[in-house]
Amino acid sequence: MLDTIMQTKLFAWVDRRTGAADIIKSQLTEYPVPKNLNYMWNFGSLALLVLVLQIVTGIFLAMYYKPSAALTYGGYTVAFDSVERIMRDVNFGWLIRYMHAVGASAFFVVVYMHIGRGLYYGSYKEPRELLWIIGVVILLIMQGSAFFGYLLPWGQMSFWGATVITELFGALPIIGEYLQQLLRGGFAVGDPTLNRFFSLHYLFPLLLAAIVGGHVHALHVVHSNNPEGIDVHSDDQKINFHPYYTIKDAFGVGVFLTIYCYVVFFNPQMAGYFIEVDNYVPANNLQTPAHIAPVWYLTPWYTILRSFESKLLGVIAMGGSLAILFVLPFLDRSKVRSGRYRPMFRLMVVMFFVDVIVLGYCGHSAPSETLKLVGQIATAYYFAFFLLLPFLPMVEKTKPEPEGI
Amino acid sequence: MTDQADQSRRNFLYIAAGGLGAVAAGAAAVPFIGSMFPAADTLAAAKTEFDVATVEEGQLVVIQWQGKPVFVSNRTPELLAQLDGHDDMLKDPNSEAIEEVSAEWMTAENRKYRSIKPEYFIAVASCTHLGCIPLYKPSAGRKEWGTAVPEDWPGGWHCPCHGSLYDLSARVINGSPAPHNLHLMPYKYTSDTKVVIG
Repeated sequence: MLDTIMQTKLFAWVDRRTGAADIIKSQLTEYPVPKNLNYMWNFGSLALLVLVLQIVTGIFLAMYYKPSAALTYGGYTVAFDSVERIMRDVNFGWLIRYMHAVGASAFFVVVYMHIGRGLYYGSYKEPRELLWIIGVVILLIMQGSAFFGYLLPWGQMSFWGATVITELFGALPIIGEYLQQLLRGGFAVGDPTLNRFFSLHYLFPLLLAAIVGGHVHALHVVHSNNPEGIDVHSDDQKINFHPYYTIKDAFGVGVFLTIYCYVVFFNPQMAGYFIEVDNYVPANNLQTPAHIAPVWYLTPWYTILRSFESKLLGVIAMGGSLAILFVLPFLDRSKVRSGRYRPMFRLMVVMFFVDVIVLGYCGHSAPSETLKLVGQIATAYYFAFFLLLPFLPMVEKTKPEPEGI
Repeated sequence: MTDQADQSRRNFLYIAAGGLGAVAAGAAAVPFIGSMFPAADTLAAAKTEFDVATVEEGQLVVIQWQGKPVFVSNRTPELLAQLDGHDDMLKDPNSEAIEEVSAEWMTAENRKYRSIKPEYFIAVASCTHLGCIPLYKPSAGRKEWGTAVPEDWPGGWHCPCHGSLYDLSARVINGSPAPHNLHLMPYKYTSDTKVVIG
């Protein structure tokens, strides 16, 4: 199909002016990929798909959304009413908003799977350190973007979530107070905050799109890792990205869209996990909801924050838990990449996945003595996992890696 | 690989899968394009009620309907008399170009008035050329208006943007860039003076 198009006169005309044929060959039809990638390798292309979905639905929502905390005759605010108008009056507005809200959660599901795959199979190791680091930047921008976006409906959770998170920056010595005012544009979260969060919520995905381009470019320089974690040299162990992996990715897209559409059409709020119930109550700066928690994808870090008595320590620990991801490629000293041939690492990394889920559960639940202790233990393991990695090769007996795949 | 493959079967699958994908992409575009059309609350605000008794004799008021300006003029018998005798200057003296909106009440004798009640004239206030609001210049001749209007000016509207001229029933005068008379919109009287536009 593609080669038929590439033989046309029109393509030849374009090619002579852009070098399109060389790009298609080097990036798709003659781009070599290990032949043994499993379905865990589908999540990268899915993340790209969700990014596009979020940008498209977001652009259409912005045609009707109004970032203003001004009061309306109904006693609500312009922002809250504009979201309700999207849900009730705008043609297909309910669908586009649910696609966007569910898309935010779906984005984190696929990205967390993508990161987990990278961890388990050692995809962050030499020569893919920078590829991993770019990926961590993408994660941080995603979290920022999700946080900014969550303020926009101007419901109770929006307002108090933003209050709590901007309050965090106030804990930093000296600059804290100024940083907090810089984010809020005032002394409390209010109309200026809403306006700048909308602006930043529109900016961040543009940054994401650019950095994702860098991520893909970096990948195409060092090429894909594979489940065995070994370097693949001979040509008979590689296949071309197109058509073999385009078709496999397309299959993954089909499965993903089936699940995504089910949630969008039948269960968009996901029992309060994707859209919190309290956010249908308009923001009230004089009353905090009984229980406030971030959306599920931010709760593991929220637990780390809550695990410390000292506010400053909590903030530092939360920042550190994300920052440590940057240095992971240099902490792990083992020459063997894949968890398949590292029995101790394999146990540790699976425990790490469970640990993050436990952290997430603790952060989503109302605080209690037991959960606080569980959260503290989970926090300790979170850091222990990373800090033990440099010493692991001293005790770990790795299994022999295969010659080829 | 290629020599073992049945190329015609393979091409059929490519085209079938690609075609299905194209249909799905087209279907997915429907809600997005659909969302850009007027929302339900915008459509619900599509009617405007107005009491024509508030317009003094000889006065023109501009009201809003669907966000568009609408002329309501109260024509005195003298002004109504100015509608006669210049049919040869008009592009469409009987308003036959766009018949549907006024078909219900338009009779042979009120074709020159273009309104349900001759004294109250109601029309969309957008020049049919490029949408500016024409200026009301009701008196005949150049005495009040100078050279902006022709010497045989019957009284009516003059569009400041590109010089279109309309008579007092907003019928477009020959030589104007505007193609049609000012558009009428559907309206009806719910009482003697209350009118519902839209």
